[in-house]
Amino acid sequence: MHLRISFILIYLCSCISLCTGYPDPQRHFWQTVKPILDLHCSRPCHNADDNKGGLNLMAFDFIQEIQRRGEIWVKVIEHVQDGSMPPDTKPALTKMESDTILLYINKYIRSALEKPDPGLITSTRLSNHEYEYAIQDLTGITINADSLLPRDASGGEGFDNFAASHFVTPLLMERYFEVGETVIEELGSNKEQWRSIVPENSFSIVQRIRHLWYSWIYNRNLDYEETVDNARDPIVRFTTQAYRRYLKPDERQKLVSFFEEVYHDLPEDDFRYDEAIQEVFKVVLVSHNFLIRTEVDPPLTDPYPVSSFELASRLSFFLWCSIPDNQLLEAAYKEDLHNPELYRAQVQRMLKDPKARRMAESFSAQWLEVDNLNDPSFEIDKNLFPEFDEELKSAMHDETVEYFYYTLSESRNFLELLNGRYTFLNEKLANHYGIEGVKGKEMRRVELETPERGGILGMASVLTTTSLPNRTSPVLRGKWVMEKVLATPPKPPPPNVPDLEATKQVHDELTLREALVLHRENPACYSCHQDMDDLGFALENYDALGRWRTTYTNSTKPIDVTGSLKSGEQFEGAVQLREILIAKQDQFATAISKKMLGFALGRSIEFKDTKTVESLAKVLIENNFDPVIFIEELTLSYPFQYKKSDPVVIVQMAGT
Amino acid sequence: MKSWHINRRRVLRGIGATVGLPFLQAMVPPGMKMEKYLENNRPKRLAVFYFPNGTRQDYWSPEQAGRNFEMSPTLKPLEAYRKKLLILNELKNNLVDVSGTDGHYTKTAPFLTCQLIEKTTGANINVKGTSMDQVLAQHIGRKTRFSSLEYGMDPVRGGVDSNVGYTRLYGAAISWESPTRPKPKEINPRFAFDRMFRNYIPGQVLKKENPWKKSVVDLVLEDASSLSRQLGAADQNKMAEYLESVRAVERRLEAKEDLSNFEANLTPDIRKELIQMNVRLNDFVDLNSEVNITGKIRLMMDINALALWSDATRVTTFMFGNSVSNRNFSFLDGVEGGHHSVSHHRGHPQRIEMYGKINQWHSEQFAYFLDRISSMKDGGDQSLFDNSTVLFGSSIRDGDKHRASNLPIVLAGNGGGILDTGQNLFYKKDTPLANLYLTLLKAMEVPIDSFADSTGELPGIRV
Repeated sequence: MHLRISFILIYLCSCISLCTGYPDPQRHFWQTVKPILDLHCSRPCHNADDNKGGLNLMAFDFIQEIQRRGEIWVKVIEHVQDGSMPPDTKPALTKMESDTILLYINKYIRSALEKPDPGLITSTRLSNHEYEYAIQDLTGITINADSLLPRDASGGEGFDNFAASHFVTPLLMERYFEVGETVIEELGSNKEQWRSIVPENSFSIVQRIRHLWYSWIYNRNLDYEETVDNARDPIVRFTTQAYRRYLKPDERQKLVSFFEEVYHDLPEDDFRYDEAIQEVFKVVLVSHNFLIRTEVDPPLTDPYPVSSFELASRLSFFLWCSIPDNQLLEAAYKEDLHNPELYRAQVQRMLKDPKARRMAESFSAQWLEVDNLNDPSFEIDKNLFPEFDEELKSAMHDETVEYFYYTLSESRNFLELLNGRYTFLNEKLANHYGIEGVKGKEMRRVELETPERGGILGMASVLTTTSLPNRTSPVLRGKWVMEKVLATPPKPPPPNVPDLEATKQVHDELTLREALVLHRENPACYSCHQDMDDLGFALENYDALGRWRTTYTNSTKPIDVTGSLKSGEQFEGAVQLREILIAKQDQFATAISKKMLGFALGRSIEFKDTKTVESLAKVLIENNFDPVIFIEELTLSYPFQYKKSDPVVIVQMAGT
Repeated sequence: MKSWHINRRRVLRGIGATVGLPFLQAMVPPGMKMEKYLENNRPKRLAVFYFPNGTRQDYWSPEQAGRNFEMSPTLKPLEAYRKKLLILNELKNNLVDVSGTDGHYTKTAPFLTCQLIEKTTGANINVKGTSMDQVLAQHIGRKTRFSSLEYGMDPVRGGVDSNVGYTRLYGAAISWESPTRPKPKEINPRFAFDRMFRNYIPGQVLKKENPWKKSVVDLVLEDASSLSRQLGAADQNKMAEYLESVRAVERRLEAKEDLSNFEANLTPDIRKELIQMNVRLNDFVDLNSEVNITGKIRLMMDINALALWSDATRVTTFMFGNSVSNRNFSFLDGVEGGHHSVSHHRGHPQRIEMYGKINQWHSEQFAYFLDRISSMKDGGDQSLFDNSTVLFGSSIRDGDKHRASNLPIVLAGNGGGILDTGQNLFYKKDTPLANLYLTLLKAMEVPIDSFADSTGELPGIRV
């Protein structure tokens, strides 16, 4: 008995001493905040055993841990705020309890953001697209990299410029050697193009006389010496652009020596000079300096600004998906890029350059996932939709890209992505939409007279890629809207729940709504599917290829396109939905900001980037969604301008 | 005991061209002619064939256990090889078959590694193990021009599968040379063929090897190794990848001996085959499309067979499709729709029927490969089939359920006399799949005692 009491006493004492050793906020967390979380969240569902939604909140004992995994806690706050957690089947939080959670968790994660963190950007091999464009900008030779090199994977925010999923493999390297050789040989055989890069090695009469003189008098071969001098210039220019920085003296020397080596070995004929330079160019195209984007990591613990040349590369790979041009490199060399005025001028110039179209294409097709159209495994039921051919497919894809590029370069208004009164069509796609008077194959801007189309939600590309092979899918479309427009991607479905869409024998679109309503009765599905399904049903006037319809096949009843959101809005059909989405333009601003930042940095956007994303969204909202101002600010943002070193280097340096 | 039987390669390495015939005889057992010896000691090969989306489960396993069994509907196309097969039932990829993960990606990447992969959208790709084919390749691969070759039909699909939070890369690779590095697949038959055989087609314009390639390699290597000392850890890894890849190019450039060994292996039979293959590749117009998928898959299989036959490599893997492949199989009679969609049959009889037909098509293509390697003479009266172990299987059983237990796994070929074929074996429920890999690796003389979660060798399959 006494023994037990003393045990309890010891336990109590140790508890107190445990608590007193910690700062006030931590003790407050244990005494006030954590008990609420335990009672309502951890114990019933989110613990190590049940692990509902893959979430174990029990594991968070310290505020620092919450701060480290801020992205989880942002979700917690969101769910408590919108009332979706705890679910209706569990006891609700009192006002007091929910206020406490919201206030303090918010406080913890806000304070975690006070110290800015630019994130780590690691070396990345050029993506196939970047390689293709870089080759084009360097040599003027056009290749199709995806048909010549193994295909890239992507990751992070879903773009193919994501470092960690780009491997360098022996197979790829073999291909780089081969493609590089082919490109340079083709360049060499195109005289005009070659001469624009490598001027002729010719000597004037005066020079020739001097050469003779020197060889008589001093026994010097000026012919040879000046040939080497002549070669130096095109070699250095070509390599500088390929390496995206000025060359170090020894690098320059090595390449020139290699030129001499080859020149020496070649027979004395008219092609000797050019062929020797070609061999040097082949070296450049397989050098890591060309193939891999690397930023040097000085041994610093704090973040620091990236160097001028690195910044130039960041800009050009973001805005052109390729290497910088000479003007940009020169600006970097003159340190102009650290002058905000001149820097903005560069960004504006780059956005005006036709090469910005590459970014528009790469970004829009991957962001909106219409590049799925080009996936060999993308499938449409040919029996049901014989009209879906290659020509239609590429017109669908191009509509999205042209449209995006137009909002970027002409109308300068990203909000038109949701509600433009025009679109881009050729004859094929216009016929598909039932719009008359468009002739020919080229895409051109067409004013819209009726409100069915205009903006990404009315595009056949989007509507087709979010359909199943044989019918529309309100769920996929709803998910797409939540992700791309509202910046609220639904949680992944619980594990081992079969993909309802693919499995249910809802072959008949007529019974789709009933099937989905039934499915939502399951509370596990309801919380996400409520919004998702209704958003999708608003788009049911578009069939699986994005054509407008008012009834389903074999039915005369008008399609039910009504729906509502958890936040209260009611709508009927695509046009009304668009208005609601415009009203939620703050969320759209967040969605674009996050994705474009991810694209620009080539990494995942994480909790530490919250402030950057927020301020970029603000820039959009405050400037009528002007993409140029937005992109300027993005390229001036902290994570774009700063970097930090890989911690391991610091450890190594400290050790040595 | 037979210490005077020295390894042939060591002889060639050490003494090079000065070796005379009488000396070579030393490694041949007394009383045997040298030609005979070489004929009978052909290298052992391993070929793995993976198909996505599981199998119609009631159509896979033959009913009768043991040696007298009747082929199941799905395996019917392999009837001619009944005596040369091992049908292995009730194997399970244990560590992978856990709830709370995804159905496809978490099963495909570990098909040959038997480890649970890291969940990631791309930043922390890690499969926690080396795949069994690569373990073998790292052991025997140095002996051939390519330590291993990987073939497939689908490119890596871009993007992240946001439904499940995995990078699609995991669904596109079964060969992992290290936990963090997948081997890329060759999917273009023309490139795959040219990579090995371009220079052995008479009348073909010879692609002259660039005489300065060696200098080029030296230059870029020198440059890169000086840089890699100044980089962060992740950057250094990337540079290491680069260096390793350039060195692989260099090795191939320098390996004159490997090349002459390889050329010595190109018997008149093989050369004849290469010429025909080249013509067929030229004639095949759908190389970059999906129009004639059966034709294309057979070309890839021919190349796979030639790679093994010519001893360009001894280890290959082949993916009929990436994980979750939704290849349209409407070209088959009675099938409508994509592979993955159909595999989620929900017990619907019509869909199950279609699912079975798609599976059967895969067996037919596999049978084609076996036909090919059976017709390839590999020393004496043996065929390439006799000297190969060919694995055919998927990483899940029923495509509707995503379970990695009772996996559909068939072995074909005698593996150079290591396998006791002609049996339909039912193991204890949930026997580790890793036990099979351990058995095969040991049979192929890889010095290991365990593989992933293996508990021991699989009884009854070795001679």
